[in-house]
Amino acid sequence: MSNTTIALLGQPNSGKSTLFNGLTGSRQHVGNWPGKTVEQKEGYFTYGGKKYTVIDLPGTYSLSANSEEEIITREYIASGKADQVCILADASQLERTLFMLADYVGIRTPAILLLNMMDVAEEQGKTIDSRAIAKKLGIPVVPFTAVDTKNYAGLFKALEDGRAAPGILDETGISELYEAVIGEPYRQTLALLPGEGIGAYSSAWLAAKLLEHDAAAMVIVKSAMDAETVSRLADMTKGVRNGSLLTGDCKFRWIGRLLEGSVSEARTGERRMGRFDNVATSRAWGKPMAILLILVGLALSMLIAMPFMMASSYLPMLSAPISEALIGIGISAILVSLLCDAVLTAVSFALMMVSFVFGISLVFGFMEEIGYMARISYVFDNTMSKLGLQGKAIMPFLVSLGCNIGGVTGTRVIESWGQRVTTMALSWVVPCASTWAVVGLIGSLFFGDKALIVVLSMFLVAFLHIYITSKIFGRSLIQPSERTGLIMELPPYHKPRYRNLFKFVFNRMGDVLKRALTIIICVSILFWALSYTPDGHIENSLIYKIGIAIEPVTMVFGLRWQMFMAWLSSAMGKEASLGVLAALFNAQGIWTGISGQGVATAALSGSLLSTISKPEALAFLYAFFFNMPCLMALSSTVQESHSLKWSLRIAAYYLIAALLLAMVAYRVGLLIF
Amino acid sequence: MQKLSAAKKGETGRIVFIDGDTRFLSRIASIGLIIGSVVEVIQNQKGRPLLVYCRDTMIAINRSECEKIMMEVTVNEQYDYRAAGSAQLGKVDAV
Ligand SMILES: Nc1nc2c(ncn2[C@@H]2O[C@H](COP(=O)(O)OP(=O)(O)OP(=O)(O)O)[C@@H](O)[C@H]2O)c(=O)[nH]1
Repeated sequence: MSNTTIALLGQPNSGKSTLFNGLTGSRQHVGNWPGKTVEQKEGYFTYGGKKYTVIDLPGTYSLSANSEEEIITREYIASGKADQVCILADASQLERTLFMLADYVGIRTPAILLLNMMDVAEEQGKTIDSRAIAKKLGIPVVPFTAVDTKNYAGLFKALEDGRAAPGILDETGISELYEAVIGEPYRQTLALLPGEGIGAYSSAWLAAKLLEHDAAAMVIVKSAMDAETVSRLADMTKGVRNGSLLTGDCKFRWIGRLLEGSVSEARTGERRMGRFDNVATSRAWGKPMAILLILVGLALSMLIAMPFMMASSYLPMLSAPISEALIGIGISAILVSLLCDAVLTAVSFALMMVSFVFGISLVFGFMEEIGYMARISYVFDNTMSKLGLQGKAIMPFLVSLGCNIGGVTGTRVIESWGQRVTTMALSWVVPCASTWAVVGLIGSLFFGDKALIVVLSMFLVAFLHIYITSKIFGRSLIQPSERTGLIMELPPYHKPRYRNLFKFVFNRMGDVLKRALTIIICVSILFWALSYTPDGHIENSLIYKIGIAIEPVTMVFGLRWQMFMAWLSSAMGKEASLGVLAALFNAQGIWTGISGQGVATAALSGSLLSTISKPEALAFLYAFFFNMPCLMALSSTVQESHSLKWSLRIAAYYLIAALLLAMVAYRVGLLIF
Repeated sequence: MQKLSAAKKGETGRIVFIDGDTRFLSRIASIGLIIGSVVEVIQNQKGRPLLVYCRDTMIAINRSECEKIMMEVTVNEQYDYRAAGSAQLGKVDAV
């Protein structure tokens, strides 16, 4: 069966993801672009006995080389790997969204134009003569409604026609406009370039990009031409300062001509701001409303996740009956312990994590889908830009108060990779609900009613931490050019499409679970191996021997070896540390503690108070509070950042920072108490 | 002529000047704001990005960026939702 590859290209909110899901259903695969941290979505479908591969190109506003996404998109289109490119425009905002098409003119990869959101355009009373437009362009033009997945016939027909006779955009119109508007610089640049263009790019396209000072276009030209011509080109284009504005003017004129006589305009006089938007963006109510809605969203996602989380948390209970059965059939004890303790616990952790990620993705996917996230971005832009982040970053921070996994998952709504990863790194500081539980317990045990002061001090330090972390990570992750402020469209509110949303979330969960399982199982096995004792005596575990050996070092940070191990295990899960403390002080099985099967708190309190001093307790609280959130948050970070390297860097940073803070707290504690 | 950042809510005008680096210019052109575009100021609050309406689209622009955009208020002009380019279809005049 022959295979046709089609790539989807469109500005954000043009309906690309909706189309991608509509075409491929669940036959899709999410990965990374080779060597990049940008997500690549690939899917398949068959039509008329022919197989199609669909590539979802990263959402970009144009084909300039200003971001990694744009470069990937452009190189992919020019690489010839796609047989056809589907360019999406939003029929309800036709003129603006046709910019992508105008920017594409001159790239000689066959294309078809989809006028998406025709339902909305019709509601506006707009009629579009797609045949007339197709005639002017020389490529198929399909009026389309991506959410109406039953009516894709027009698109399929265009794809089949395209296979038979590929349509390439006619560039004479735009080239004439460049010449008329830009004049001499354009003409001379064009004359210096090879008449047949370079690769998939025509000389007119390259000339326009050079005049826009597009660095990647310069690289292409350099690779194909002699040094002297290149330097003349560089001189030529340097003289044109605001090239992007000039070519932008040409592109919009070209769009104007294209639409002339083919579009009847929409009714005028519509309100530009709905009543809801007046409140959602208002000075007084915008922020409180955003915070309230995010917190409600957090509560909702916990509610959704709760049944699944409960069910998964009971999984370790199966450990005893299963292990008895296994031992009964003669399997060695160590293998049984590995399976029933380490692997089962890991699976239960991973399932709990996925349930929560599911809830978060659903609720905040909904907010993004209807268009409210863009309003949050707007009202918090000023506040968050102090950290070098964009307004939407407020959401992951608030969600992290419930659970850091949710916070990390929530960063998905942030477009730029650098800002996304920085937001993840910062949201790790935010203490989650479990952190509070442990801090509350240990804090009140040692400091009684003074615990409040301790907590307040940690709060202050947390703000400092966020500030410093934003400087450290922001510097290498966020390009100075990305820091230039926000330019963003506030899309009109959409009716939510639940089917699309559910499909999207479900498709995602498989990947999340797979990755979570691998990471969590590996680390769990490691910890299990450290704490494994054949006879149940702690003195015989590796962790005990290592702990005793390194205590002189850990005491520098004010942590006895038991506290150190408890701290280390809090990197797996915050509650785990309580279990480990109980195990180490009361000599019950350590792993029982980690897998959360009941902690005898009363007994623990007694042994802690009698062995640990106040400065040591303070050190532990600091180390614990500022430690990385948990293994599952790390796993989510790997998932969302698409970069193992950066995730590990962030984790290492947190481990070290927590120890340093503990050391300071310990020294201060020694002075005070 | 005035800076866009100084425009008042409800004013409609034509953009006459935009300054900035390559990235900014290409970004702002791709969202539909170029010299000659007609914009309506929807909101201009202290410490917040500006909200403008242009080519059927609500756009938020950071304040410091708005300092680099000049606008000529056309007080009595009814908002023309077509862009400058399409308002004078067919005619090509130098910029
Ligand atoms: N009424 C209507 N809504 C649509 C149509 N296509 C997409 N939408 C909605 O438009 C919004 C944006 O669609 P997406 O598919 O997320 O757009 P996208 O281009 O992938 O945007 P990004 O995810 O930001 O890259 C969603 O709320 C969709 O439900 C359509 O044909 N008609």
